[in-house]
Amino acid sequence: MVEFKKIDGRSNGYWLICGIFFALMIWGFYAWYLQLVYGHCVTGLSQRVPWGFGTAAICYTIGASAGSLIVSALSGVFGKTEFKFFSRSACVFALATIVAAMLSIMQDIGNPENALNVLMHYNPTSVFSWNSFLYSSYFVIGFVYLMAQFGEKYRITKALAVLAVAWAVLVHSGTGGIVGFVYSTDLYHSSLTIPMFIVSAIVSGLGLLIPIWLLTFKWTNRPLDRNLMWVLAKIMGALTILLLYCFAAEALDTAYIPGNAGAIHMALFDFRYPYAWDFWVIQVGGCLLTVLILLTPWGKTDWGMGIAGFIVAIAVYGERYSLITPGLGYPKDLVPGMIFRPFWIVPYYPSWVEYAEIIGLMSMACLVYCIGLKIFAILPERGEVEEE
Amino acid sequence: MTSRREFLVLLATSTAAIATGKAMQVTSTDVDLSKYEWAMVVQVDKCTECVNKLLEKKGIKFDELSLDKQNELLRNLRPPCVEACDLANNVPRMPDNPRFDCYMIRIIAAKATEDASWRFFPLMCQECEHPACVEVCPTKASYKRPDGIVVVDLHRCIGCRYCMVACPYNARTFTFKDPLEDLKKINPEVPIRKDGVPMKCEFCRWLIDMERCEGVKNPKPVCVQVCPYNALVFGNLKDPNSEVSKIVRTSKVIRLRGGLGTDPKVFYHNL
Repeated sequence: MVEFKKIDGRSNGYWLICGIFFALMIWGFYAWYLQLVYGHCVTGLSQRVPWGFGTAAICYTIGASAGSLIVSALSGVFGKTEFKFFSRSACVFALATIVAAMLSIMQDIGNPENALNVLMHYNPTSVFSWNSFLYSSYFVIGFVYLMAQFGEKYRITKALAVLAVAWAVLVHSGTGGIVGFVYSTDLYHSSLTIPMFIVSAIVSGLGLLIPIWLLTFKWTNRPLDRNLMWVLAKIMGALTILLLYCFAAEALDTAYIPGNAGAIHMALFDFRYPYAWDFWVIQVGGCLLTVLILLTPWGKTDWGMGIAGFIVAIAVYGERYSLITPGLGYPKDLVPGMIFRPFWIVPYYPSWVEYAEIIGLMSMACLVYCIGLKIFAILPERGEVEEE
Repeated sequence: MTSRREFLVLLATSTAAIATGKAMQVTSTDVDLSKYEWAMVVQVDKCTECVNKLLEKKGIKFDELSLDKQNELLRNLRPPCVEACDLANNVPRMPDNPRFDCYMIRIIAAKATEDASWRFFPLMCQECEHPACVEVCPTKASYKRPDGIVVVDLHRCIGCRYCMVACPYNARTFTFKDPLEDLKKINPEVPIRKDGVPMKCEFCRWLIDMERCEGVKNPKPVCVQVCPYNALVFGNLKDPNSEVSKIVRTSKVIRLRGGLGTDPKVFYHNL
């Protein structure tokens, strides 16, 4: 039986952390205010690259949420009862990040006052429309799942855990479909996008949760079984290798078509633009570094696991960015088989407003988690498996 | 003074109307739009002649320009069709700011091989039969009218830009800031867009609808009306005697990115 208990949350450290997250959140909302007043011209977007950092943030936060919920359901679905310690806190984090995701959609759209139209005028052929239904129902399912955990109702919790995992997979598949089903852009259309989204969702969820748990247990002076963390870190490492394999498969698949040569060359090898830097340094480099850290003895330490998690969380953000922007930066083949003009590659660099918005939303999710620790019993008193 | 009986009848009919949704419907006196299938043929030979003349006047040899200069030149090129479209449709042009510059028509240059000569033609919304923008729009703000024109309902649009990403022709642009700042003249017949919504060519539907209602037999968008070379042919594909039908039936025309299956209603002749 795992005993969950609220934290005191009276220390200066606790208030300092909450204060920092709150300040960052306010900074993010200020950036959003500027965007509302002056329009999207305050972003780094352009007519050719109308999706950028904000859209990557939507995919990322939904992925992190889906990944966290899947981790939360490890004990319920897969019978790994030793991971029950983390089920409540992971679920709270999943709910906080899905709220951040929905807010990031609100930030990204140009006409937020019309946002409710998504629910009122359902378009069955639009993947975005499917997602409006999936996101809202996902929140409800996650919330009910959390309530069932609070009620210690074993059977209901298990049933809801299965539903929550299935829904998390659906939600993130839908998000992957937004990009993967677009056929007009050379670098977009790929059947691998959806499964890759699921893998990277779990990786980013674990990547964020591992350092968060390590710090939470440390700062609240609660014992934590390092072997459990190491098992999670190993899952993260294995999925990161799978992710690297997917990157290679997708890049080769795209590059095999002669017509895509220019686009793939720009995305992977033309270092005059930000896309190749992002691909090799953040996306591939971040994933490789994570795997390397976890392969060394240092990777088994708190610092090793925490830093590896943090790096892979950023690497997955880089993956979202490189999934969305290079395909738009490279000109569409308007007149196939002919040389045509205008033909120029548009580099996309996010503005400070876009950075502030995503940092603000992630800070909001972390703030909700911190407040959740204080007002709900979501953290176990001891994060250690008792010997029987 | 309304009697109690009249009041009750009025109340009952109003309730019935609201309940059945009839009160929300606008009674249309318009003709059946499905009689039409608007299409355009771009005669590339004539467009090329027009642009070449413009370049000749400016003393520019397109082939001798660097890639950057060619791009810049085409971005700012304003043949009569583009000029008239911008003015008539309240398009906020920003030549100094290509990142946010809106357009409905662009001039494209293409050639088959390096040593071939450039051919010029306008690229606008292709008014596809199977439009990707309509398929992806999460609010049905982009929809296809019965006459085939793809329209954006600005009151319904949330500004997600999914349509821009999905469009195979980059035919849509987004109002990154308030368009009023960059409009020199305002055409009151056309709605002025706010910031945060996409815009696209709609075959000047405000004009062809108006002309059709006035009994004009062959309504034409502004670009077609002003073209000095008669390079643009517009008409109803469902009318076998229309010029556009005859050209499509008898000449070798192509549709851009035909392999995608979007089936555009803009045909290019002699490209």
